[in-house]
Amino acid sequence: MPKSGKLDSLRYWPRKDRVDSTGPPPFHLDQLKIVNRTKFMEQLALQLTNGLAVGGIYALIALGYTMVYGVLKLINFAHSDLFTLGAYLGFTLLASHFLTGMGPFWGTVILALMVMGMIAIVGALLDRVAYRPLRESPRLSAVVSALGASIFLQNAIMLVYGARYQVYPQDILPRMAMNILGIQVPLVRVLVLCISLAMMGGLYFFIQKTKVGTAIRAAAIDQGAARLMGIDVNRVILMVFMVGPALGGAAGLLVGLYYGQINFTMGWGYGLKAFTAAILGGIGNIPGAMLGGLLLGVIESLGAAYVSLAYKDAIAFLVLILILIFRPTGLLGERVAEKV
Amino acid sequence: MKQKIVIFAGTGAILAALPLVLNAYWIDVLNNIGIYAILALSLNLIVGHTGLFNLGHAAFYAVGAYTAAILNTTCHIPVLWLLPVCGFTAGLFALLVARPIIHLRGDYLCIVTIGVGEIVRIALINDVFGITGGANGIFGVSRPSVFGFALRTPLQFFYLIWIFAGVTVILFHLLEYSRVGRALNYLREDEVAAEGSGINTARYKLIAFVLGAAWAGMAGNIYAAKMSIISPESFSFWESVLMFSIVILGGSGSIPGVLIGAFLITGLPEIFRQFASARMLIFGAAMVAMMIFRTQGLLPAGPRKYRLPPLASEGDKA
Amino acid sequence: MKKSLILVFAMCFIASTALAAGPIKIGLMGPMTGSWASEGQEMKQVVELLAEEVNAKGGVNGQKVEVISEDDGGDPRTAALAAQRLATLGVVAVVGTYGSAVTEATQNTYDEAKIIQIANGSTAIRLTEKNLKYFFRTCPRDDEQAKVAAATIRKLNIRKVAILHDNSTYAKGLADETKGLLGKDKSVEIVFFDALTPKEQDYTTILTKMKGANPDFVFFTGYYGEAGLLLKQKREMGWNVPFMGGDATNNPDLVKVAGKEGAAGFYFISAPLPKDLPSEEAKAFLATFSKKHGNPPGSIYSVLAGDGFRVTIAALEQAKAADSGKMADYLHSGLKDYPGLTGKISFNEKGDRVGEVYKVYRVNPEGQFILQP
Repeated sequence: MPKSGKLDSLRYWPRKDRVDSTGPPPFHLDQLKIVNRTKFMEQLALQLTNGLAVGGIYALIALGYTMVYGVLKLINFAHSDLFTLGAYLGFTLLASHFLTGMGPFWGTVILALMVMGMIAIVGALLDRVAYRPLRESPRLSAVVSALGASIFLQNAIMLVYGARYQVYPQDILPRMAMNILGIQVPLVRVLVLCISLAMMGGLYFFIQKTKVGTAIRAAAIDQGAARLMGIDVNRVILMVFMVGPALGGAAGLLVGLYYGQINFTMGWGYGLKAFTAAILGGIGNIPGAMLGGLLLGVIESLGAAYVSLAYKDAIAFLVLILILIFRPTGLLGERVAEKV
Repeated sequence: MKQKIVIFAGTGAILAALPLVLNAYWIDVLNNIGIYAILALSLNLIVGHTGLFNLGHAAFYAVGAYTAAILNTTCHIPVLWLLPVCGFTAGLFALLVARPIIHLRGDYLCIVTIGVGEIVRIALINDVFGITGGANGIFGVSRPSVFGFALRTPLQFFYLIWIFAGVTVILFHLLEYSRVGRALNYLREDEVAAEGSGINTARYKLIAFVLGAAWAGMAGNIYAAKMSIISPESFSFWESVLMFSIVILGGSGSIPGVLIGAFLITGLPEIFRQFASARMLIFGAAMVAMMIFRTQGLLPAGPRKYRLPPLASEGDKA
Repeated sequence: MKKSLILVFAMCFIASTALAAGPIKIGLMGPMTGSWASEGQEMKQVVELLAEEVNAKGGVNGQKVEVISEDDGGDPRTAALAAQRLATLGVVAVVGTYGSAVTEATQNTYDEAKIIQIANGSTAIRLTEKNLKYFFRTCPRDDEQAKVAAATIRKLNIRKVAILHDNSTYAKGLADETKGLLGKDKSVEIVFFDALTPKEQDYTTILTKMKGANPDFVFFTGYYGEAGLLLKQKREMGWNVPFMGGDATNNPDLVKVAGKEGAAGFYFISAPLPKDLPSEEAKAFLATFSKKHGNPPGSIYSVLAGDGFRVTIAALEQAKAADSGKMADYLHSGLKDYPGLTGKISFNEKGDRVGEVYKVYRVNPEGQFILQP
């Protein structure tokens, strides 16, 4: 059995049996190189866009992890299931057909707002039930509570919607290809990336420029001091538990609309990747989560394309570990001492 | 001290007598609890005593189990003889992995351990070095024998597993009150102060990590011997989550707490079997509820008690 | 209060003695939770419906049949526990389970307890190579399916083929077997052989990479969820390569995920669908199932579980009693061409199903599965 790598280089050579007097003349070597190079560049560019589209979704989910972590120092493992829930709620709303009269654009916008609103409420409830009683207890207790909540939500979705794949109605997003610098890229891919970037930008503005955002930042730095400054920290935390999950829910809806197929276990995979992305960028840091998400998507895609497909996830984790060895607090994380 | 021995012996006696009233199924449930108890005790050394956030313990468990299975099926070494070998390979693997990352801060260490767990699982699925059998796993691990007596039934495994668990409890208890145990606790409470009092923090962290991993490797050996087939899905992230939950739910750093945690986390899904496909839903809710009602864990470790040193007339001892 | 309680107990006692013997217990082991929950839950629906039908006709040998379902979570450890539990509950036979490694973890328990096990989705070859007396399976082995796959690829005159699996036991086994069969053949070259990560949503990276290898034909040996996404994303990329899947892609949801345009032209190998069977039982069952659950069974494996249950009943009738030894002997040698829901069923001495089971199907532009001649 010849190895596939060898075949790759042989492909452009004409086969002996095909060379006859009437056939095209054989390739010249430099001609071959040009063909190979343009083909390689095209592949690379395609794989980059593939990676960025997935990375955009990772980044959107990672924001939820990083916001909660920034304020509470809690890894909210149930976030991945809020993401799944977002996809399922979107599915229910679409299947109920009450948005049909509004046209594709406004219909999608209203759908997104409704899903985000509902997930925000679930997020706030989750905080109230599972995390708030544990504010003063050891940090890892809240992590176990989050794991329990995650198992609960995942199985609740399974029991309500069934374990089979659910399929979104087709063709809500436009299915066209766009020509970017000579490469055919599906328009939706660009759209997904743009929507993710817009939402991240919105969040960045919200955190940096508004009064509530300032309060969130203050609480993240020092809860006690923020309280002394007259900030209602519990309300800030509630806010964080609404905004973060809302973005996660939006990501879920986006995944449903774009890929069309949702499953109750899909949160695990996305959640783990998004959490990785948040750490990669420096957890607690909002631009870090965006950067980490996009970077992780690209690493995965290029790793799968040029190193090994089967080891794709392993490569992503390996790169993460290497980065953390040299930058122990992630790419944009601040270097802080553990306890001062 | 006496009180502890009485409690330990009493619990042991009750456990030893339990098979008289249980059927094979419940004995097998107890076997599973026993394996998870050993695993959780080993993780407790890392998470509970030292305060290292490890969510990838299944990787070391897997290394032990695969070492046992590979050496048993290819070299035909009796599986229980491999117990120290499994501990050694798992410990060595932990040493190699942990050496460069041990300095990472809490949650960064957490994701790295998750990453190590996933890398190991993916490598196993992809039949790394051509020896792990890929997704099929390895089958045909021979039955273990003790003094020429082959173990087959759940009841026989019950005694093997729980004797090992008992030994684990005793050893880890001794470790807890040793110099190393005190150093680890100090490190968990305040790393900077520990460093300041001359404790080589990186070294002690590594000791805890490698010891815990080696013990998980031995648990892997017993698991392979019991199941006689192992496959990568038995070592997923989910397994690490279970072990971690046992430690925190039972009471971080407390051996009796961890044992109770093992009973609840491994036993409850079996009790909830009557709810069919809703059983994991109820299990998740129970996890949240237990954590809320006992925020420190079910049986948290109490403060350390020391016997007062005999009153010295001179102030030469502090 | 006390009197009424005593009354209830007395009535129970009378009732239990009136029924000379309790019901015959048949176990069903499947993944009711976890990643494969959809398969397990449908297995349960199918088997319970069949049991209802049997009981409506008065049961077997004058006794009712009771199905006890246990969750194996798709995980060997949980499965070993489920097997112990079923064994202690006194079942005579067990239908299931789905994954090969999961089934393997339970084989010894059942064999030692002399309980008949009829697996429905465990296609790994080695399961029946142990020559266990009480183990059977209604699904054919990986090598059977690979033969059909290789034959189809040759018949379609394919030169360059890409094989993609998902690293699950089943998909890897099928991919390896097919690769081995095609490797003997000089006219077909395998230009791509790799695995994807299941349960993800974006497979464009893999498709782009595969397209670079320039195959004439792609054989994906994994499951329908991933297959649907591959077909859909392949179409979005504007790549028109024909795809073929193994029997795990046989699921109406495939067309839902891929869209009709995406799925059109997709080949897959499968045991014949109930609608293509001449037997009246299959059609009738399909109708009842659709009536009860709103849609026909999605997965072929749940129908194979149904067949496992039906041959158990046939063996019970033949043995006249819940005697697993006699039943196993009958299944090995006595049962010939039993009219199952998925075609004729006979077992060989290893417990494998014999006969050509697999057919090639193709999806037409309306999204229907058409049997290929």
